[in-house]
Amino acid sequence: MDDMKNKSKFESTENTGFNFKKFLVTETYLAIFLIVVLVFLSILTKGFFSLNNVMSILNRFSYVLIAAIGMNLIIITSNIDVSTGALMSIVCIVIAAVGKTGASIWILLPVAMITGAVLSGINGIFITKLRIPAIVATLATTQLFAGVLPFVVEGSIYDLPAKFTWLAFEAKLFGLIPSSLILMFIITTIAILFMKYSKFSKKLYAIGNNSDGARLAGINIERTVIITYIIAGALFGVSATIIATASQRVTTTMASGLEMTFIAAVVLGGTSIAGGSGKILGTVFGALILSIISPAINYLGISSDWSDAIMGIIIIVSVILGAMKFIKRKKITVVQRRQDNEKPKIQVDL
Amino acid sequence: MKNQKFRLTFNMALLFILILLFITIACLNSAFLSFDYIIGVMIRNIIELGLLALPVTLIIITGGIDLSVGSTMVLAAMSGGLAAVKFGSTAGIIVTLLTGLLCGLFNGFVIAKLKISPLVTTLATMFLYMGIARGMSLGDSVYSYPATQFLGNTDIGGFPLQAFLYAAFAVVFYLILSKTTLGRELFAIGLNENAAKYSGIKTERKLILIYVISGLMCALASMIWLGRFTSIKYDAGTSIGLKVVTIIVLGGTSILGGLGDIKGTIIATFIIAVLNSGLTVLNIPIDSQTIVNGSVLVISLITYAILTERIKKSRIIKLDSTV
Repeated sequence: MDDMKNKSKFESTENTGFNFKKFLVTETYLAIFLIVVLVFLSILTKGFFSLNNVMSILNRFSYVLIAAIGMNLIIITSNIDVSTGALMSIVCIVIAAVGKTGASIWILLPVAMITGAVLSGINGIFITKLRIPAIVATLATTQLFAGVLPFVVEGSIYDLPAKFTWLAFEAKLFGLIPSSLILMFIITTIAILFMKYSKFSKKLYAIGNNSDGARLAGINIERTVIITYIIAGALFGVSATIIATASQRVTTTMASGLEMTFIAAVVLGGTSIAGGSGKILGTVFGALILSIISPAINYLGISSDWSDAIMGIIIIVSVILGAMKFIKRKKITVVQRRQDNEKPKIQVDL
Repeated sequence: MKNQKFRLTFNMALLFILILLFITIACLNSAFLSFDYIIGVMIRNIIELGLLALPVTLIIITGGIDLSVGSTMVLAAMSGGLAAVKFGSTAGIIVTLLTGLLCGLFNGFVIAKLKISPLVTTLATMFLYMGIARGMSLGDSVYSYPATQFLGNTDIGGFPLQAFLYAAFAVVFYLILSKTTLGRELFAIGLNENAAKYSGIKTERKLILIYVISGLMCALASMIWLGRFTSIKYDAGTSIGLKVVTIIVLGGTSILGGLGDIKGTIIATFIIAVLNSGLTVLNIPIDSQTIVNGSVLVISLITYAILTERIKKSRIIKLDSTV
């Protein structure tokens, strides 16, 4: 009997704490973690918050976030894209080739977005029309994308005109805020609104949660997934533009390996890789944390060679913590199910 | 019955492709046919990937995936190499194997006990292990030591030592998968993990076991690798995970789990070997090997998708609901 009382007490605290619980989502934890890290850095390091360093962090943050938003859309539909790095390298080379002719950013950006969208659309078609699991399909296209480049260009395209690097060096709001940051801000705002209010975003969650159910509810899964890949591809294109225009020499491996960072930002942001859940806001924090780590390590006087390891630890710990929450919840429901058998009138509120 | 018949023909088709490729390349350039080239270059170059493909086939059959093999290899080679510099070859070998074991154990623990998807786990540990290797070496290379040189460069009767190792392991893994209860259990886990669990299979323990095996094989492969190349940098293993998965998928193992065999993986290993060294013989630049690998993977995936579709249609009950 005592046991039962304790359990019901436990339950009641759970119920009263529900509002509080709603507040304690992944984004809050991430924000707290981020603030702690920033305070820690401001005490321990000198010059971390210098204008130059902050701007370089924000630049990295902006291209990571823009691509991570695209990746987030894909992952919500319970697919994945590991070809992003290779895809973005192609986009970099394409716009470098266009930029060589002296084209301005107003041509480069659309070209980049279209190239990204087309290549990513190929991924989408592979996955939906041929029903190849996303991880394998994009693994294959990674090799195709990475393999094509050396045929087309030898190593790099260099001596690019000043017009090409205009976005990175001259386009600054009030002579201070880099344009990449503005691009990022616009895209993030649109993405958050889009995910909150559009019908299309509901389809993404539905497909990720239960693709059979979504199909029966009348969603055209194939088309939706392909469109998602195309949108993501356009975002990868924007991100690639920011990367490519940062230097006068664009190499064929400029963005290779970045897909891991993007996936990490998404996973860190609390999006389940199984699909059907996840918010853009979480991805924002995830991307910011990942962009801060590497310079932070530098300023703390630790060799930058450890940055990958620390990033890996943060990702795996965050994934494990996320799973622990899930396991705990599962255990509670099991206990309650047993109670239900004994006393069918107890309401389960979880 | 139907399924078995299909798999047999699939392996036959693979074998046919292998022979066809071999003959084509041999016709185009007779230098390819020399014994030295086939044994010394073609076989030697593929052994590490082949050794990794064996345990990863088991993992993929359970519905998992291991993308961290490349990083595990680098980390094992790195820690072993550093230990060997200080304490000699024996310590090097022990540390290498221990590192492989620990890496595999960690993967297995996180996947089996914490129920995190294998894809995320091994993606994260791929990052993590490579990062640790980079941190440990401070971006420097690690150099081979006598034991690894022995493993990587010894010839027995004209054949490299690692070829014998590969043959032995191929047989062992074939037997494990097709003749033992463990093999059956792995298929069961891949088809339906919950059903497997409730029919009395200790799924968690089995999963951890195969990831540990994978880690150990990485360690072994890393020693051969280090011996062959004399020095390895932390980023040497980045694309290995993908190459291994290419081989396995080409070999007809379903990435969704529950279907596949070692024979297919072995034949696929040789197809990739013939392709890679064949292209080198034909003076096609090394970069193009990536695109060839990619096309091979795409073609095999499409073929495989069409074949399974046909099989599905021929069945009365539709088994797959994830359409």
